[in-house]
Amino acid sequence: MTVSEPGKASESAWVHFLDALGGAFLRLLFLLGEAVASKIAKIGDVVILVLQIARRAPYFFRNPSLTLEQIIRIGVTSLPLILVISFFIGAVAALQAEYQFRGFVPSNYLGTAVCKLVIIESGPVLTALVLAGRVGSAIAAQIGTMKEKEELDAMTVLDLDPLRYLALPRLLSGLVAFPLLVIIADFLSLVGGWIITTLVLNVTTATYVSGLRFLFQGYDVMISLVKAMVFGGIVVIMGYYHGLSAGPGAKGVGQSSMKSVVSSCMLILIVDFLIVYIAY
Amino acid sequence: MIGEPLIELRHLQKSFGAQKVLRDVNLEILRGETMVIIGTSGGGKSVILKHCIGLLQPDGGEVIVDGKVISDSRRVDVKTIRKRMGMLFQGAALFDSMNVGENIKFAVREHEKHLTEPDLDRIVAETLHMINLNPDFRFKMPSELSGGMKKRLGLARAIALKPEILLYDEPTTGLDPITSDVINDLIIDMQNKLGATNIVVTHDMVSAYKIADRIAMLLDGRIIFVGTPDETRATTNPYVRQFIKGQRKLLPEAD
Repeated sequence: MTVSEPGKASESAWVHFLDALGGAFLRLLFLLGEAVASKIAKIGDVVILVLQIARRAPYFFRNPSLTLEQIIRIGVTSLPLILVISFFIGAVAALQAEYQFRGFVPSNYLGTAVCKLVIIESGPVLTALVLAGRVGSAIAAQIGTMKEKEELDAMTVLDLDPLRYLALPRLLSGLVAFPLLVIIADFLSLVGGWIITTLVLNVTTATYVSGLRFLFQGYDVMISLVKAMVFGGIVVIMGYYHGLSAGPGAKGVGQSSMKSVVSSCMLILIVDFLIVYIAY
Repeated sequence: MIGEPLIELRHLQKSFGAQKVLRDVNLEILRGETMVIIGTSGGGKSVILKHCIGLLQPDGGEVIVDGKVISDSRRVDVKTIRKRMGMLFQGAALFDSMNVGENIKFAVREHEKHLTEPDLDRIVAETLHMINLNPDFRFKMPSELSGGMKKRLGLARAIALKPEILLYDEPTTGLDPITSDVINDLIIDMQNKLGATNIVVTHDMVSAYKIADRIAMLLDGRIIFVGTPDETRATTNPYVRQFIKGQRKLLPEAD
């Protein structure tokens, strides 16, 4: 019977430990690499999808009614939600501004604060986030269900290109309807702020309006509309992409809806930062 | 009239992930015939159909339609070939957001720009008549229809553009025997009235015997048998016999 030396035994345990640690580290590195590669591949897929839709842009003129129908579907049907939300955003902005300014900023600037907040940020961003939940998820669910029920294949077989008949009208309507909705949302927020400042905070309409006009800049409105247009594109593309990648069954369609909302919201906030960084 | 090969599958291979669905499929479909492909569920029958119409590209091998290799999109415009084909999907795949009339009209309107709305309405009425349905059905939504009706309308949509080749993916699955027979008669009608070449994928042997000019069996990613219905009934191939008799265990070769 051989007895191992205590020193050698502990050395061998160390070797085993380091070996296991190295293995775990390599495995972690591999999984990380795999996750990064998969994300890059997905980004590549999205870019290809956008280019494929863009290539079909001239087809808009052959079927403008398809885009018009989608503008009505996205724009008109989202209007009640946008009206309620933007009114209260303006009202809350006015209340918060008054609370934060109390004692050291005159109430003439309430209108300025509401105007700046609404036009630069809350108008386009919150409208887009709300529409990501309403419009993006609906697109993902619809396209996912059409894929599941082989309707997309049926279109292809009938030589009805799904990108031309489904994706292009939705993208164009997103690019048009989002800015229109943001204009309405901005206006309603300003109205919400006005009602609160005049009825609750005892500020006159003239003071509120002069505050609105004080630092009002057309450039802000332009950037707000550019943001809305970009966010509209993001929401539609994410909805369509996740619909196309939906897994089988109700679970797959549900997950594609959820993923479209999550990815849209993330991208909206990241792109918002980039636009603000570049524009200001 | 049955003639020369119209569709040829040569050494077709297809995998989805690690799963090899088609290993080496070789099959010729003759012009004007009804070829029925039988095989177990999940065996790759629908995958063959999707290759025939260019919805899937093979990993290996070739799909040749009327002398043109459609499995290589660099060499041929698949769309041109596809315009000569129609397909009835397993779940009918009707466009849920459109009524029956619009489902039939949609593709015709897009491809035949010279047609007026009255022309399109006439085509809808004629197509519904071909599948023995009342023209009033054009106003119904797909959600209001039974499974059998959906299949018939899926067929109506497929034939509205008068295709030369019709593909049927499990046309009688999920239907009662009487409705299945109505669909079988329609498939035979399409062959007679349109002179269409039919490829039907099914595991319904009653249907296969009734409509087929020839039956091919797919097993383990290969076509292991091709023969007329009579040859199929009389075959000694144990796998075909097991399938057509619906036995769980492999039957011994017949003497």
